[in-house]
Amino acid sequence: MRETLVESLQAVFGFDQFRQGQLAALTALETGHDTLAVLPTGAGKTLIYQLYGYRHPGCVLVVSPLLSLMNDQVDRMRMSGFKRVAAITSQTSFTERQQILRQLDQIQFLFLSPEMLAQPTMLARVQQLTLSLLVIDEAHCIVQWGPDFRPEYLLLGAIRDRLGQPLTLALTATAGQQTRQEIAKQLRCTPQVVTESVDRPNIFLDVEYVADEAEKQERLQQLVTTLKRPGVVYFSSKQQASDTALWLQQTANVQAAAYHAGLAAEDRFKIQQQFMAGQLDVICATSAFGMGIDKNDVRYVIHYHLPADLESYAQEIGRAGRDGQQSVAILLYAGGDERLPLALGETNRPDAELIQRYYQHPTNFATDEPVIQLLQFYYQHGISEAAVVRLFQQRQRERTRALAQMLAYVREETCLRHQWLQAFDEVAPAHGANCCSPATSSLDAAALHLTRTTTELTRTTTEVPTVTTVSWQERLHRLF
Amino acid sequence: MEPVDLLPLLSESQPRRLRVVENLLRGRRTVSTLYWGQRYHLLSLLNLNKTLTRGGLDDTAAALVAHGWAQIDAEKETVQLTAAGAAQRDAKVYYQPVTTEQWPYLDHQVLRARLFLAIQVVSQYAHSQAQYYPLQVDLAARQAVRRWFHTMKGPTLAATISAALTASLTKIPTMAADVLTAQFTGFNQPGVTSEQQAQLTGKTTWELYLMQLDGLTQVALDARQPTHPLHSLVAALWQPPVAHSAQVTLAAVQTGQTLTQIAATRHVKLSTVREHLLEAAIMLSLTDFPYAQLLPATTRQDFQTVVSGPIDEWQYGDLPETVQNQYDFFDFRLFAIWCGKQEA
Repeated sequence: MRETLVESLQAVFGFDQFRQGQLAALTALETGHDTLAVLPTGAGKTLIYQLYGYRHPGCVLVVSPLLSLMNDQVDRMRMSGFKRVAAITSQTSFTERQQILRQLDQIQFLFLSPEMLAQPTMLARVQQLTLSLLVIDEAHCIVQWGPDFRPEYLLLGAIRDRLGQPLTLALTATAGQQTRQEIAKQLRCTPQVVTESVDRPNIFLDVEYVADEAEKQERLQQLVTTLKRPGVVYFSSKQQASDTALWLQQTANVQAAAYHAGLAAEDRFKIQQQFMAGQLDVICATSAFGMGIDKNDVRYVIHYHLPADLESYAQEIGRAGRDGQQSVAILLYAGGDERLPLALGETNRPDAELIQRYYQHPTNFATDEPVIQLLQFYYQHGISEAAVVRLFQQRQRERTRALAQMLAYVREETCLRHQWLQAFDEVAPAHGANCCSPATSSLDAAALHLTRTTTELTRTTTEVPTVTTVSWQERLHRLF
Repeated sequence: MEPVDLLPLLSESQPRRLRVVENLLRGRRTVSTLYWGQRYHLLSLLNLNKTLTRGGLDDTAAALVAHGWAQIDAEKETVQLTAAGAAQRDAKVYYQPVTTEQWPYLDHQVLRARLFLAIQVVSQYAHSQAQYYPLQVDLAARQAVRRWFHTMKGPTLAATISAALTASLTKIPTMAADVLTAQFTGFNQPGVTSEQQAQLTGKTTWELYLMQLDGLTQVALDARQPTHPLHSLVAALWQPPVAHSAQVTLAAVQTGQTLTQIAATRHVKLSTVREHLLEAAIMLSLTDFPYAQLLPATTRQDFQTVVSGPIDEWQYGDLPETVQNQYDFFDFRLFAIWCGKQEA
């Protein structure tokens, strides 16, 4: 007789109870419904497909957008006892790829990047597998990244058709109505939507205006010095994340490190592990940090740069307070900060004139520029010039709208939570003392018990993992 | 690489081609790179920075020139330290690696991946931890460590590894042992990054890398002993000094075949045969290469009467026409290699 869902949960993870969203999503899948699960960070989204894979023969194919995230997932699954797990990305070596492909039918959970899955040879191999479930992880990326960043995401619907429309689970932490519709449209299905509120009542929301860059730095330094630790500061630039980590380390008496996609894999691993082990007070990160980080006691998330949309913002502040304790999300804003996300968005978006010139003489263009690679992609997939122009115009309108929504949050004078949740079609609870402080009022971190106590302030920083304080003999002794 | 890292690789008496240093680091194993690498005593740099881009040292060299520590010739090919540069190099306390002789024969990248993962696995095992994030290394390294671990695991493994590492690290400078072990990942030790070590010590990441190489090489040297606990994991990472194809050519020479015969039987060009032999001559010691056969005493005498001055200034084109007609560039270069080895 088949196990009940709870019995399976017991058997695999040793838990007695599902979280609300997990059970709803699994129930929908078990009854054969494609499912879009919009569940907040920390709700245990991966458990849904892990358990489904355990209960059904065949392969669970997980399409995941971030390389680092994928490797992380694979490691975590191996840690939880799933051994037949593999990931193929652009970073997978030829030999390793061959080896995985040879044993493909043995694999229970296969992680692929959209680019990899879009390759005809790979798709042909995957078509031969019996898929129990197709998972689109971080499905909001279809909308956020699609046309001007990773157009392969736009092929997912067609690929899904080619795979015989397997049962599909789309996962995301944040998706408003429009994003949900867009995901369904791109995947060519009508999924049952499972949601939990994105609201995180224990995260106090704060927006602060500063006059200029100098004042922003000064305020950051002050916050990092006085707020309860650990914390994460998000930047839009790798260089600035690195520079600020060094500067804070030297001036704010904190253990700080940078984390971004420009670091070597080993360094990213170590910084992440140091953070989890409590050896770091603050991480200066780009959006590369976060997805897949399991740290419950992050007390603050500060945004040094303005995110491009509320969904990214919600995703990133969601790293705070996963233990349910009081935490704070602070956005530092100087007039004109919206220029950076605008410029970053435009770098990869060709205008009508460039599209026209490209379509007239595609061979005249060098393909080492990302924007030309994008156009080449559309051209090679037989999408007409007019359609591409429309696509990018529409994309621009969407991004402008998303940024306007983000700015409306920054400029909100009454209740930030109301403004935030409205974007996700949710109604905020009544505004109270522990809700938020828009730019018009100042943050009282002490009242929230988020400032470090006198003893904490005078304590020397966490044990520094220095080279000099511990001899190599002692280090070997500790290791073994 | 920062200016301070390039200083020890340059000389005040010998102009050195920056491109040679670059190609050595990138692992471009051409005969010319190897020849000049040997002339500069820099063969230890082979393969040490495979991700270095072409021209990747140009800015560093330009910075040395800007400081007045080096000068670049008019053709922008060679760099030479000024007196101030040499003084700067000598005044600076910079790590002097002790195992460089062995570096060209080891695949440090694979060695590091295997050793680091093995240490993590054993450390976690020693503390009865089955749930941890493994270091992300490629599949081949993962499988090698898995195979090794399954044959080795047992209650004494941690102590055995600890003792073996202690024995190796005792043989290298303390600073290098400290730097390497601080980077290890294991139970309750995430390990530090080179960048963090650089911040803490004021050393460059390159200098820290040289320290690590000493540690890694010493472990690999000791693990050549069949009884060493890491033997089956790392012994196979030693590479022969000469590539396989060049070895075959060399063996053919030793059976008495002429170069033309070898080219014909191996279906390669005569120039390839000659490149194989020059590579072998550069990489092997005087006694391991058949000089008597390929560079007979009469040839040496013919060259000796017409060349003078430092070896690095000899030019084939400067030889008298009669000598050029009698001998190829191959013979001339082989003679220069032989002379260089005599000097050493």
